[in-house]
This record gives sequence, structure tokens and C-alpha cells, in this order.
Amino acid sequence: MKADIAVVGSGLAALVATRTLQQAGRTPVLIWPGLSSLYFTYATVDVLGYADDTTAQPVEQPEAGVAQFIADHPEHPYAIAGLDALRSGTDVLTEWLREAGFKWQGSLSRNLLLPTAIGTPKPCCLVPDSMAAGDLGRDEPIVFCGFSGYEDFVPELAASNLTRAWGRGDRWVRALRLALPGFEPGRLFTSIDLARSFENDAFRREVASSLRAVLDDSTVRIGMPAVVGLTHDSDVHARFESEIGHPVFEIPTLPPSVLGLRLFDRLRKHIQETGVEMIWAAPAHDAELSDGRCRRIHLKSAGRDQPIEARSYILALEDTVDGAMRAGVHNVVDPFFHQVLAQHALPTERTDESLFKPQPFASIGYRVTNRQQPTASDGTTLAANVFVAGGAIAGYDPVGTKSRGGLAIATGYRAAKEAMAA
Amino acid sequence: MPDSSTGVVVIGGGSTGAGVLRDLTMRGIDAVLVEKGDLASGTTGRSHGLLHSGGRYCVNDLAAAIECVEEGRILRRIARTTIEDTGGYFVSVTEEDEAWEPRFVEGCAKAGISCERLSVEEARRREPALSKQVRTAFWLPEDGHLDPFYLVVGNVESARRRGAQVRTYTEVTGFLKEGKRVTGVVTHDALTGEETTIGCQAVINATGAWSGFVAKLLEVEVKVVPVKGVMVVLSHRLAHAAINRCHKPGDGDIVVPGLSVAILGTTARRVPHPEVLPIEWDEVQLMINEGAMMLDGVTTARAMRAYAGVRPLYDLGAEAEGREMSRNFAVIDHEQRDGVAGFSSIVGGKVTTYRLMAERITDLVARRLGVTTACTTAEVPLNDREDELDQLRQRPAQMGVPKPHGGELALQPLVCECELVRPQDVTTWFEDPAVRTLEDIRRRTRTGMGPCQAAICSYRLAGRLVTERQQEGAIATRAMADFLETRWRGVRHVFWGSQLRQAQVTAGLHLELFNLDRQLMTEKEPASTEAVGALR
Repeated sequence: MKADIAVVGSGLAALVATRTLQQAGRTPVLIWPGLSSLYFTYATVDVLGYADDTTAQPVEQPEAGVAQFIADHPEHPYAIAGLDALRSGTDVLTEWLREAGFKWQGSLSRNLLLPTAIGTPKPCCLVPDSMAAGDLGRDEPIVFCGFSGYEDFVPELAASNLTRAWGRGDRWVRALRLALPGFEPGRLFTSIDLARSFENDAFRREVASSLRAVLDDSTVRIGMPAVVGLTHDSDVHARFESEIGHPVFEIPTLPPSVLGLRLFDRLRKHIQETGVEMIWAAPAHDAELSDGRCRRIHLKSAGRDQPIEARSYILALEDTVDGAMRAGVHNVVDPFFHQVLAQHALPTERTDESLFKPQPFASIGYRVTNRQQPTASDGTTLAANVFVAGGAIAGYDPVGTKSRGGLAIATGYRAAKEAMAA
Repeated sequence: MPDSSTGVVVIGGGSTGAGVLRDLTMRGIDAVLVEKGDLASGTTGRSHGLLHSGGRYCVNDLAAAIECVEEGRILRRIARTTIEDTGGYFVSVTEEDEAWEPRFVEGCAKAGISCERLSVEEARRREPALSKQVRTAFWLPEDGHLDPFYLVVGNVESARRRGAQVRTYTEVTGFLKEGKRVTGVVTHDALTGEETTIGCQAVINATGAWSGFVAKLLEVEVKVVPVKGVMVVLSHRLAHAAINRCHKPGDGDIVVPGLSVAILGTTARRVPHPEVLPIEWDEVQLMINEGAMMLDGVTTARAMRAYAGVRPLYDLGAEAEGREMSRNFAVIDHEQRDGVAGFSSIVGGKVTTYRLMAERITDLVARRLGVTTACTTAEVPLNDREDELDQLRQRPAQMGVPKPHGGELALQPLVCECELVRPQDVTTWFEDPAVRTLEDIRRRTRTGMGPCQAAICSYRLAGRLVTERQQEGAIATRAMADFLETRWRGVRHVFWGSQLRQAQVTAGLHLELFNLDRQLMTEKEPASTEAVGALR
């Protein structure tokens, strides 16, 4: 198969890159290697939550924060992609979300502080409307509402932690649980089952009415697990709010994360509807190089090898979870050019003793040129028409700074721009 | 006056201590068990879970082999549901192995171990994963898998039904004495710091690798050599039966299928202290390479974690080291040997022979106390019922299939999807005061032991600390983090392939979606005076 530009990836970096190409009038092919687990955990677009791994002080203004971060870390993927790529990529994404029917809010000028499912405040940049009422910059008291028999959101845990972190004066936090019609104790159900039920008007109204009956304070807002609608999030959420008469905000839960499903499902479908060709669930496993350019990449699809020949390529796999790198016992290898990206005598060298500290492994990736082209170990450019975005770039570790979304957007946008110029 | 009193204090909550506790109460003797960690948290819970037919010892240690034969048969009667009757193969893969064979066959005959020579074709028909290198194979039907956690819990619960008490996280720091007679123990609660005393007529030291430290408090010597063994857990079984190398026992020559996993074992390195158990990379490599000599798929299977345990080998004064040392055990009567009345130790041995060890030391102590009731632990099942249904182990056999007993559907909510643990399986343990950390819940239910290594269930368990134990969120969250960190310590040693990808999901979930790292930074101090991770 021949293509103009081939984009490989299933996460935000690949989507932003593809959309950028599409908007510029190019005809990208999106090669989607299948659902990754991170697909299920994504909920908000975090641009920069903390200035480094060690501070507990949130960044208030993500754009200014990233500018400072770039100044402090000139080798970092954010610095390579550049602040402009973050700004323009964010514009592409927010415009796209609107066109695809999402109602989102937030901007690069301010982080919201939202409670997580353990009740810890977390800085987030772009968020669905359905989460925004959780902003802890607001003062209304919060009631966390969980459901009997649903273990993936524990309102009592969230309320206890948030009380310590945020509660004072009128800012109080309480927990309650509702029994949901049809979800009797002893029944096995997940957030997906609940989300589907919330799209049913009769079910949702019954929940709203039993919730109204136990709320005795007109000023409260309700924090709920993110199960208010499976696909048409904004509508279901808005209707539910008016049925209760209180602001409602969703909180992302243990996987399967309905918020992640809504986002990626809709964007993927929208980009197909608007004419982008997609090759579904085909992991790329090889690339052919000659004269400093990539000639073909090879997909594993339906039991046979499928070569793709494009003018340029964007490798936008987000993580080892979706195959950005393959970690053997000693060597970490890239799946396209089979370069050894890192070697470890002991597997423990890839990790910190604590799960809660930065893991050396997370920063492994391609060293890239200032145009995001992958380089060989001697520093020479591997392929002039290949551009890397997302987690396969060396130094890309969004975990501690809570910058997964912003890094994906910036590197995805920049890769698209470079691919068009190549 | 001591804070409380009983007949006998048993120190040590491994299989031996639990067996002693049950034996005492079955003879009508009041008893309290004190354990400085959790039940089965020392040697027992860190074993590979092989119920030995005796084949492994029949050449070098005939006495130990004969004990394994007899006790294995008894355990199949009294502890049916803690055992999976897998049977085992002894396979040779080198010429040297083949030279061992005649001695092995002779040893099995002497010890009375059933042993059948199979053609390699027949062995491979039964176990298709046997490697191409396998040259000969023996079938020993009495090898099996013994779940060490259920075994200990089964003994303890049986003793509790007869009035015994169990105190976990309770370390003995001293003894009460009248002259040269021990009259009680001084204990320290590791989680609350509380000191208490328990008066008694006799103390039994069943602390295995820690025996020397306990005895030292009374200025008597017990020489136990701590020998470390490292094991690697694979995410599926690879074989139906236990696979042993048919050779002189050595490193990495056993693969034990246990429930949903396979355990590769093990090494034998002398360590300076039973709690200094570093997992060395060469040991992990050795387990995988040696395992691969017997079974295909070992190198490509998903390794979930590595762990280390410690053997309590009793030093009989010989020159023997590590593997050469006997797996036999000894009862030490300190009154006779050291002139310290009311104190005895049980040392050496192995999990397979725990019951016999318990019987021997209980015989001694009962005699001293003037109790003549005979031991009945070889006859009465652990669940104290005649039927074979063990209440300890009501887990859905298969999702969606009605359970054979009781009629309820097995398609039920799960706390741990990897290990099929249901809410009711954990709820009962949240009510048990001896359960004090989330790790204790894991040992009793297997929650968190599957491929995801607690990424999901840790949140649900933390929630239950708040709803069922009325803990503050900050303490519950810290307990969740501690639980994940304990799992992480084992995962780090096999950090490649699928388990590495899994860890990235875990980090994405807990650090990004929950912001747990910042929660831990801002809640450095425990939110109350209760120790971190401790449950009320």
C-alpha cells in the first residue's frame, strides 16, 4: 500500500499528528496498533502539573510553566518540540474536540485542581465539561456519591482524603452511597455497564430522584464516578445535572475508564468519518532503510506481512504498553529499526527501589534530532523522513510532572509539521 | 502478675507453630500463638509449595524421604483442599543425570515411594512442554502442590475453634522467669508499640530460622543455619505436574505448578541473617535457565516476580553446608539440655513434615504438663469435619459456572480479577483482629498475587479499610501504597516484557490518574497515632 504520510500510534500524539496533517490538506494513513491499556486510563489532558518530580506545589499556569521548564531542561522533549508546537497543537485539539461534538474546557493559561478517586487534588489543564465542577478553586461543599456494590470508586476514601487536603469552613466534604436500580449486591458489573444504564432516561431520572431525596443542602456539588453516559457524555451529564438541580462532576475510576473510552472512541471515529484511512489493529514490526530514508514499514496484519510505502512516517506510539519499545531481559529495542536503545546488565537498573519515584526505564527512547528524527547510537540521523512523537523519545517521562497530554500534543504536532516539510 | 495467662505460648506463626497450636488445643491444652509478623510470612509462605513425595531426598537423606512419604499421605487425608494432587516427574537431561538414576530408583524403593519409569514419548504425551533435552523420565504420583498459606490458616482456624488465641505482629522480646523456670513471655506489638506479658506453664520455640535469636534471650544456644532460596513466579503453569531434575539436588531443578502459576525454584546460599535475603540477578537467571532445560516456554513465559525465602537448617554439628545438610528436624528439651525448665525448641524440618514436627514437640510438652491425651492430628481433618468441603477455600472454580455446593452462581463481583477473589472472601478477614495489613489479606485470599500485582485490587482494599475498619483515608491510602511497594520489590527483578508493560499501566493508574505520589508527599506523617499501614 502506498501513502502520503503514515502515522503509527493509538494515543493522543498519533491523533493530534493525524489531525494536523488532515487540516493542512494532506492525506495521512493512521496505523492503529490496537487498544493500549493507557487508552483506558486517560481522562484529562495534563500539560504540566508540577515543575519537577519532587515538588508537591502544583503549576498554576501550564503555558508559563512549560516555558520555564523548557528553559530549565533544554534537552527535554518539550524543548525539542517547542512551546509553539504545544500552543498550536492545543488549538488543533480543542478545535477538533468541538467539531467532534465534545464539550471540553480549560486553556493553557490555567490549571484546574480536581479531586481524584482517592480524593487527592490533581492539576489538570484541559478537561471535559463533566469534570469541571470539581475545580477546587471553587468553594461549594462537595458530596461524593458512590454506588452500593461498586468497588471502583469509594466515596468514603475520597471524602476523607479531600477533607484533609481542602476542607475548611464552608468547604466540607461528605460521602454517600446510593443503591442503583438493577444493580443489586452480588451482581457483577463494571463502569461500562453503569455508563450504559445512565444513558437510559428512566434509569437516570430514578437515580436523580433518589439522590435529590438525600441531599439536604442546596449549595453542594456532587462528585461521582465517571459513568454518566457511555458515549454522548456531555448531553447525558447536562441532563443529569438539571434532573438533580446540583452541579455534578465526574471522577475517573479504575479501568475501564469511561472518560478515556469516550475520548478516544469518538476521535477515532470522527477522523475516519472525515476521510482519514485507518488500518486497524496492525502492529508495525519492521522498517526498510536505504540512503538515509525509510522506504517502507511492515505491518503484521491478518496473518501476513503488509508493507506500507509512504513519503514520510510519524512514529507516535505512546509507551511500551502499546509497543513503542520492546524490553527484553537486557536490551530495550525499537520495533522499527531494531536499534538497541538501552542495555542493562541487571533488569533492576531500569527501576527505582520505590514505585513512586521516577523510573529510569521511562526515559529510554530514541535520541532525536531537533526535528524529532531518530538517530543511531553514533548520533547520525537514521532516516530523514521519519519523525518520532510520544513516549519513544528519550527523556519522555510524563508521570511525575503530570504532563502526558501536553507532551503528546506538542511532539505530535511538531512531528506532523516536520513530516509535511520533509 | 502477667497481663494474661495461658497454658502454653507458641512462638512462631509458620506451618510448625500453627501445627503445634492445633495439636495443643486438640489435646485440651490452652495456648496462645505469638508471631512477630503475619502468619506464614517467614519461611512457610515463601516456600515453593512443593509437597514432597520424598523423591528429592531418597538418595542423600533417606530418613527425611521416609518422613515425606508418610506425612504426604497423612496430609492428603487431613488437608485435602490445601493440596493439588499434581503428581511429579523426575527427568534427566544430561549424562550425569542418567548416572544418578540407579541410585534414585533404589532410594525410592527403600523409602517406599511409588515411582514408575516412563518412556520419553509417554512422558511428553502427558506433558507436552517437556524440553527436547529430556532423556528419561520417572513418574512419582505422590508429588503435589501444597498451598502454604491455606495450610497455616487451616491449622490456626482449627485451633481457634478450640479456644486458642493468635497474636500477629507480636514479637517476644523477653521471658518471665522464676529461678531457672520460664513462666511467661514479654511481647512487643510491632504496629502499636504496646508491651504486654503472657504468663504460661511452657513456651515452645517454633521460630525456625529465627530459633537462635529467641533462645538467646534465655542465654541458651540453638544453632540454625539460615540458607536462602530464590524463586521466580511465572504467570501460568506450563505443566500439569511438578517437574524435578533427576539428579543430585541442586539449584533451579524444580518447577512447581501452583493454582494459576508456575514457580521456578530454587537456590541455596547461606546468609548471615534470616531477614537478609537479597535477590541476586545470577540467581534469577539460573532459575530461568535451569527451568528451561526441563520445560519449553520457561524463557518466553511472563515472569511476574521473584522472591526469596530462608530455610531453617538445623546444624547437627557436622561439616555439611546448605544442600548437604539434613532436612531432618530435632526437638530440643532445654530443661534437659540447658537446665531451663518450661522451654523447648523445634528446629529444622520442612513444610511437608510440619505435622510430625508439631506432634513430636507437643508430645514432649504434654508429658511435662502431665497431659496424657494422645495426638489425633493425623486423623482429624483441618476443617474438623468429615466431609471434604473446606470452608477456607470457597472460591469460584470457573467464572459463570454454578458452584458445585451451595447453589449460588459463581459469576459474582470480584475484588481481584487476576485471582478470582470475591468481596465475601476478603470481608471475613477484615473482621479478624489478627489481620493487620493489606499483605495479610493477600496471604489469606491470594488477592494481588496475579499478573497485575495489585494494581487494581489495592484501591478496592484501601476502600474497605475506610468502610469496614473505619480508618482515615490517609492511613488507608498509605496502606495501599505500602501494598503496591511490597509487590514492586518482587516485580523489579523480572522487569522486562509483559511485566514491564504492566508496571507502566500501574504507574499510569496510581501516579497519574490518582496522583498518589503527591498524596504521599503531602501526607508524610501518618494521619493518626496508629502506625502506618496498621489496621485496627
